[in-house]
Amino acid sequence: MASININGREVELDEDGFMVDPEQWTDDCAIYFAPGEGINELTEDHWKVIRYLRDYYKQFQIAPMIRKLCKETGCSLKYIYELFPTGPAKGSCKLAGLPKPTGCV
Amino acid sequence: MPTYKDMVQPVRATENDMKKIHIDPTPDDQKCDKALQYLDEMRKKFRSFVTAMESCVKCGACAENCHTYLGTKDPNNIPTNRAELIRKIYKRYFTLEGRWFGKLVGAEDISLDVIEQWYSYFYQCSECRRCARSCPFGIDTCEVTFVGRQILHWLGIVPKLHASVGAAMEKVGNHTNLPKPGLVDTLEFLADDILEEFGVEMTFPVDKPNSDILYIPSSADFLLNEYTLKGAGLFFSYIGANWTIPSIVAEAGNFGYLFDQRFTQRHNVMRLLDAAQNLGVKKIVWGECGHGWRAAKMYIPTMADRPVPWPITHIHDEVAYYINTNQLKLDPTKNSKPVTLHDPCNYARACDLQENLRTVMKASVVDFREMTPNKDWTFCCGGGSGILFDDPEMYQRRIQLSAKKAELVRATGVGADGNGILCAPCSICKAQLYPMVEEHKLGVEVKGLIDLVGKALVWK
Amino acid sequence: MSYFIMQIMPYITLVVFTFGVLFRLGRWAGSRIVHNITLAPFPQRNSQVLGIFAAEAIFFRSLFSSDRTLWVGAWLMHIALFSVIGGHIVGIYTLGEEFIYLGLSSDLSKEMSALLGVTFGILMLAALVYLLIRRFTITKVKAVTGPSDYLMLILLLAIVTIGDIMRVFEHQFGIDYAPVKDFVAHLIMLKPLPLDHLALTTPFFVLHIFFVQILLMLFPFSKLMHVFGMFANRWIINRVYKEPAPGLPNVDIAAARQAGIGVPSGEGGV
Repeated sequence: MASININGREVELDEDGFMVDPEQWTDDCAIYFAPGEGINELTEDHWKVIRYLRDYYKQFQIAPMIRKLCKETGCSLKYIYELFPTGPAKGSCKLAGLPKPTGCV
Repeated sequence: MPTYKDMVQPVRATENDMKKIHIDPTPDDQKCDKALQYLDEMRKKFRSFVTAMESCVKCGACAENCHTYLGTKDPNNIPTNRAELIRKIYKRYFTLEGRWFGKLVGAEDISLDVIEQWYSYFYQCSECRRCARSCPFGIDTCEVTFVGRQILHWLGIVPKLHASVGAAMEKVGNHTNLPKPGLVDTLEFLADDILEEFGVEMTFPVDKPNSDILYIPSSADFLLNEYTLKGAGLFFSYIGANWTIPSIVAEAGNFGYLFDQRFTQRHNVMRLLDAAQNLGVKKIVWGECGHGWRAAKMYIPTMADRPVPWPITHIHDEVAYYINTNQLKLDPTKNSKPVTLHDPCNYARACDLQENLRTVMKASVVDFREMTPNKDWTFCCGGGSGILFDDPEMYQRRIQLSAKKAELVRATGVGADGNGILCAPCSICKAQLYPMVEEHKLGVEVKGLIDLVGKALVWK
Repeated sequence: MSYFIMQIMPYITLVVFTFGVLFRLGRWAGSRIVHNITLAPFPQRNSQVLGIFAAEAIFFRSLFSSDRTLWVGAWLMHIALFSVIGGHIVGIYTLGEEFIYLGLSSDLSKEMSALLGVTFGILMLAALVYLLIRRFTITKVKAVTGPSDYLMLILLLAIVTIGDIMRVFEHQFGIDYAPVKDFVAHLIMLKPLPLDHLALTTPFFVLHIFFVQILLMLFPFSKLMHVFGMFANRWIINRVYKEPAPGLPNVDIAAARQAGIGVPSGEGGV
């Protein structure tokens, strides 16, 4: 377990670099993680996906089904992969401060 | 990068992760003694393990029948050599020849290095049992991997992925940490989607008391495999079944079977029995999950601590039955793309499901092309036994481990025009193949089998 | 020395072999078949299980499918081995006149016996050499081979080579059936042979018997246990599994379709 400093705030990360406590998340965290997931600049669409993920997670303590993510944000799966090259399960969850998905995903 | 003396290893569960699955990791200075103690216990219990230890002639027939060896060319990935990692210790401490002749007969003292070897190689094995199928004596090397992983678990060495899944199973009853509200929300969303796409009005009953049928989906279906859930829902609606999905065990898989065939596996089994009893069901029907189906079909009878009055069948057993009795109206032209079938190893080698898969397939698609080898000689997708590690080193391994499958898929020609379907009716296979068909540029889309049934059903 | 090998060692060998094998099998029996780990193919009846056992034991069927080049050598070796063992038993018992029962004359039977002995002896030698070369040359096989694997093949080669020499150069190095039968009979009756008996003074025969005894004593403590291991493993994985009957409770598809379940109201059922 490691702890990093994001704009003066200590944030705890697990072995895979995911945030341990989603409550610690701020916009700065997404900006901090972006380069590591192959994203140069966070666009409006990135933020749309991230905010949707965070809202959904706040409500259900789980990431939404990918199909639902696409439908609700109006992004095709292909476009989501363009936004988050490491994939929706890993990349976008990490940026949104969600825990790493487990199981056969 | 997780490597140990040039061996690749999956990211490890931390002490904290291990505590969540009720294990206090053994300190390094006690690991060797403890490992021997556990090995002694296992050898006295499992005959399949003892005979694997004592009857191999090292003929090498298993080597090129193992996709892991074919993909990595690492001699320790030859099934008999992988077993040798334990056999050398077994010989040294539990056989006369090993105690007397040592190295001459391949015996070796235990050390931390050996335990690290176990961790590296037993988590490159998919437990697919192709080596057992090809062995002239039927030695089941998968049993050796089981024993190796069990000992490692007791020592506190488990991949983070498996340990997190184990903790999620106990916390919420499924692998993906999916709580009931999320589960219900996803199913409601899917029901809406089904109405839009298929014009079918249906619901996914959750925890409905007095149901006749308990359907056990894979929890990965709730995140990734939308059409697998839709297909099952469409099928049960079509036949007018009184069915339900249990929220306390919305999981066809059982990762316990993959690293802890005691508490973790049994816990999931007991949850299932509780759910079946509380919901008053008459039959349990299993969703698309390979290892989980083997764990259910073959292990529940010996895992359950109480009588199991409910027959347990696979959804494709049922679909095939209704196709064979001409009760389902299916229009194969709704699946017109060329399709090939990847036989999940647990279905074809451990559960005798291969013929039913074909019955269902042939009734649901127009252009079905067999892969060779197939059925009980199928090659694993390379993700078998949940080795779906995604750190860069292990991800590279996964590409190597899926190379053989990629070669076979390509040979069928279904992806030649870039519009093929690779049907893989198992959640681990799907999770492995989604990225792998891209890595190997196979020109196919990965689908489940009940997905295709759902699309082909004729409602009016 | 030759007295020890021929008159004392056989009893030691018998004890080590018998108790060694019993000890090993006892250990196997002590452990259990904990879970059902049935493996394809899936026999429906016990007669089919028997068929699987027979096809594996007689034809090495799985090996035929999994590694054809190994199958050629392994199958030939074992067929030759069983023929040779069978030949030893009936040949020595009938003094080479076993084919009388097939209507051959006594002399012809002996010729026939010798010819078959040479044939299978050479065949086995060739197969063993093939298996040994395989261990040196094929990368994957080399990778699984340990010192004891080479030694075991070399021991077998020694036994077979000596046997073949005694057959091919019968007059210089061989021995007749009669003294051998005499030797066996004395062993069984616990009666010592006179020191100048041919069985004790034919160097190649003594050497042949010596190596065979080494092999038998190693048997319970080596991979030779695969002879029993095959049946023990297949007993676990090749068995009948009774499937639960398909068909779902309270499902009537015809009625469900009649009622138009799932078809939105307004569009109407059929």
